[in-house]
Amino acid sequence: MRLQEIDRGDSIVSHLFISFISLVSRMRLPDAARVALYHKDFFSVPMGEWTQAAMRGSSEWSVGERELMAALVAKWNSSSFCVRAHGAVSAKELERSTVDAALADYHAAPISERLKVALEFLETMTLRPTELTSKHAKAVLAAGVSAEALKDAIAVGAVFNIVTRYANTLDFAIPTADEFHRAATMLLKRGYGS
Amino acid sequence: MPAIRPDHSGLAEALRYRVLDGPGVSNRATRKAAAERASGGQAIAASYDDLVRQIGESSHRVTSAQVERLVSEVGSQKAAFEVIVAAALGAGLLRWRSAIKVLDEVSDASAGN
Repeated sequence: MRLQEIDRGDSIVSHLFISFISLVSRMRLPDAARVALYHKDFFSVPMGEWTQAAMRGSSEWSVGERELMAALVAKWNSSSFCVRAHGAVSAKELERSTVDAALADYHAAPISERLKVALEFLETMTLRPTELTSKHAKAVLAAGVSAEALKDAIAVGAVFNIVTRYANTLDFAIPTADEFHRAATMLLKRGYGS
Repeated sequence: MPAIRPDHSGLAEALRYRVLDGPGVSNRATRKAAAERASGGQAIAASYDDLVRQIGESSHRVTSAQVERLVSEVGSQKAAFEVIVAAALGAGLLRWRSAIKVLDEVSDASAGN
């Protein structure tokens, strides 16, 4: 973590809360959660509301599929923390082998065709946003994805094109595999709202 | 009763408004310039121009020295945090707008048929 104020908390209450949660969970509170506690009114409240809506709101995509989208956006943006964090959540809903296969090559992974075409759209959106044309959207809709579902996927893509950038810039510490597994359980239970 | 669909456009705008137009430790012009730079806009006349450009293009290459320069120039870690999330937001919203634009084009064409 490159900003020490986020690491320790920007108020006595935040500092005590971070210390307490780390103590009772017997693991360092992940940096993503520390950011959510920092300067809350400025960023984490509105960011948490959109993230919660995109990841847990009503959608044709399952929670596991949306978490896999997040993990792949993280892969395209080279965010190790987010790949592992959201890969772990997705693996709790889908099979771990499915998530690993998708992270290696989603085209060949045992996932639905509609998810593959949505991921193709998100890959272009993430890596070459100015190259997106109506042809890309038509290809997704032609595969049986509704316009509402494509908008939901775009929301996941947009949110994680923000999250991965500040995670990389702030240099989020990488927890152990066991800690990611335990954090994933909490994310499934509590969601993303601040 | 059918589930209520999320208002992604409204939530995106609320986030944009809060981070770029709302009150903060840094000034609004600084945050807006960072968001625009990270989405391919004009260079900023500041020592952290390379940082905000890199947040947009390849955030995994950002260094601790770049973040330290930003803190030094804007005067506090809280102000630096605001600039960093403004830049990340600019890059994310560029992608949001680009994608929604092509989806709307297809939806409008279908509605016109």
